[in-house]
Amino acid sequence: MSRRLAAIAQGLALALALALVIGLLSRAWARPAAVVRVLMPAPFADATADLVAAFNRSHRDVRIAVTRGPFETEAVSDLAISSLLLGDSPYDLLLMDVTWTAKYAAAGWLEPLDAWLGPEALAPLVDGARAGNRIDGRLYRLPLVADMGLLYWRTDLMDAPPRTPGDLAAISRRLQEQGKVRWGYVWQGRQYEGLSCVFVELVSGFGGQWGPGEPGFGLASPAAARAAGWLQQLVHEGISPRAVANFAEPEALQSFEAGEAAFLRNWPYAWQELQRPGSAVAGRVGVTTMVAEPGVSPAATQGSWGFSLLRGSPHPDAAVAVLRALTGEASQRQLVSRYGYTPTLQTLFNDPELVAQRPQLPQLRRALDQAVLRPLNPGYAQLSDILQRQLSALISGRGDAAAAMARAGRESDLLLRASGQELSPRPQEVGA
Amino acid sequence: MNALLLMAPALLLLLAVFVWPLLDYAWLSLQAQSVFTGLEAVPVGPLNWQRLAADGRFWQDAWQTLRFALVSVGLELLAGLAIALLLHQRWRGRGVVRSLALLPWALPTTVMALGWRWIFNDPYGPINGLLQSLGLASVPFLAAPELAWLATVVADVWKTTPFVALLLLAGLQMIPHDLYEAFALEGGTPWQGLWRITLPLLRPYVFIAALFRLAQALGVFDLIAVLTGGGPASSTESLAVYAYLNAMRFLDFGYSATVMLGMFLLLLLGAAALLVWRRQAEVRA
Repeated sequence: MSRRLAAIAQGLALALALALVIGLLSRAWARPAAVVRVLMPAPFADATADLVAAFNRSHRDVRIAVTRGPFETEAVSDLAISSLLLGDSPYDLLLMDVTWTAKYAAAGWLEPLDAWLGPEALAPLVDGARAGNRIDGRLYRLPLVADMGLLYWRTDLMDAPPRTPGDLAAISRRLQEQGKVRWGYVWQGRQYEGLSCVFVELVSGFGGQWGPGEPGFGLASPAAARAAGWLQQLVHEGISPRAVANFAEPEALQSFEAGEAAFLRNWPYAWQELQRPGSAVAGRVGVTTMVAEPGVSPAATQGSWGFSLLRGSPHPDAAVAVLRALTGEASQRQLVSRYGYTPTLQTLFNDPELVAQRPQLPQLRRALDQAVLRPLNPGYAQLSDILQRQLSALISGRGDAAAAMARAGRESDLLLRASGQELSPRPQEVGA
Repeated sequence: MNALLLMAPALLLLLAVFVWPLLDYAWLSLQAQSVFTGLEAVPVGPLNWQRLAADGRFWQDAWQTLRFALVSVGLELLAGLAIALLLHQRWRGRGVVRSLALLPWALPTTVMALGWRWIFNDPYGPINGLLQSLGLASVPFLAAPELAWLATVVADVWKTTPFVALLLLAGLQMIPHDLYEAFALEGGTPWQGLWRITLPLLRPYVFIAALFRLAQALGVFDLIAVLTGGGPASSTESLAVYAYLNAMRFLDFGYSATVMLGMFLLLLLGAAALLVWRRQAEVRA
């Protein structure tokens, strides 16, 4: 009897010890997962929700927690900056607009990605998505989707889209006189970042360039004066409505979608909106690049959103793994086919399956090859503000284009001099 | 000694939430702390203040802010007084109307500003719809510099008149009714009563309402940010919007602090002038 009891006791002790060992081992295996916190604007948080859920199902050691930010670009920036100013960032990854990179890098908020992604990280991307990610030789951002300014035109009102500013105005006037449309051309004229986007591709089309290397940051030039003067003239002649001075993307889209205008300047997202059942122009819309003067190649303002790694992230390795997965081919494919975003990977533009689904992809690729970047400068927001102020005055009917651009040029020079930046040409980082 | 001890908690609170930030700002305004310095503070002496003095945009915004505040608060006092007098009378349904009249005040400013952005929309907004149905041309309320600031005034008056009306209504209810009865017995008409009794006795309340509203209107931010974004051509930009742009968009904290302090000093000057004027008015009376 006592022997049996002893055997049972021994057995129990053994089982307990075994359980203890297994328990300890499994604990060591199942370390708590690293939580990678990502802040994205609401539309991207929604579009990537499936991708994030799939990632979390297939990874045990890393978990993605997405914060759904506001809709508006600048509101997302405000949210990110407020938290970054307080010191430790509550996020590991931030989905950033292309114009923020230089500012955030100069503020010391970003961790370079070179150590993880190597020197060839940007090689698979199209040209129009490569620029704007490297500052002073360091990679700070990897784009998720590409974006660029486009000219939408009505295929039922003309055979071919205009190629020059003169053409656009002439076709507009003719169609307006015939009573086919109320307005010729609608665009973004509100005093905000969108106005700078309208200008930067246009000034390239007039043979100029907004950026360092020329007097007045490129604004004190005949090309800048002609581009600004052309916008002013559009409103003055009634080709564009006076109300364009308060138009952002939605207002311009609304006017074109109602069939009121012959031309629209907008981003690729507008394509899907214009093909919706309620649209008065569904199936009658073409897309091309912005007009340019004869002999000058047209240009498209480069947008794009991309992920950056925030300095002070407690687990940068896991964060970069997430960044890789979300910007990878499978992820981009889904964003293109389901949500109509524009990819950044060269291979996807030639993908027969995607092109069958999104016939505008080759045209978008052509526009991206002519993309122009807004100046990569830590003071970009202020430079853009200086430009917007003068343009807004011109569009609402005040002043002379050459004088206004010269003034904007002087203010830009003053800002750069005060900030200790040289005015002489500074090598711009373009490409990989 | 005892009095000082009793006041200490309140004084400490004031020091912590008012004097300390002010001193901090004063220090910041003597530094260059911006994205160009990597957000490090670099002492630069009075450079920011020299820039402020020469900054045409600061003075333009100061003028625009003052114009916005004076015109909108003036209109609010007039409309608020009329509404308060109406709501003070006894009539059927007064309770319902009293609660309804408060509705604009209860709406968040951003929401109502979005609403007004739609109302002023050219050409789809209801106002322009009405104008066009009358055969008139549509008006670009938010796209013309000379109209856009009036649009911001209209939106502000709509939103904050109920607040003024509420304060003045409280004031009206403090006036003893027998004063009016005695005045009527002496043969005074209601119109004379308004001028001889109501308005003089309401004066402290008008003063309080004007003070509250002026302080708010001079710091206007959310209404402008949503309705016009400061445009067109910065014609509706207020000082608070300019300070915000400098801090949050340009990451120039030294200059943003200078703009805020400059605005504070201007306010202080205005308040001092108002107090002196009131003192003299009392002495004369």
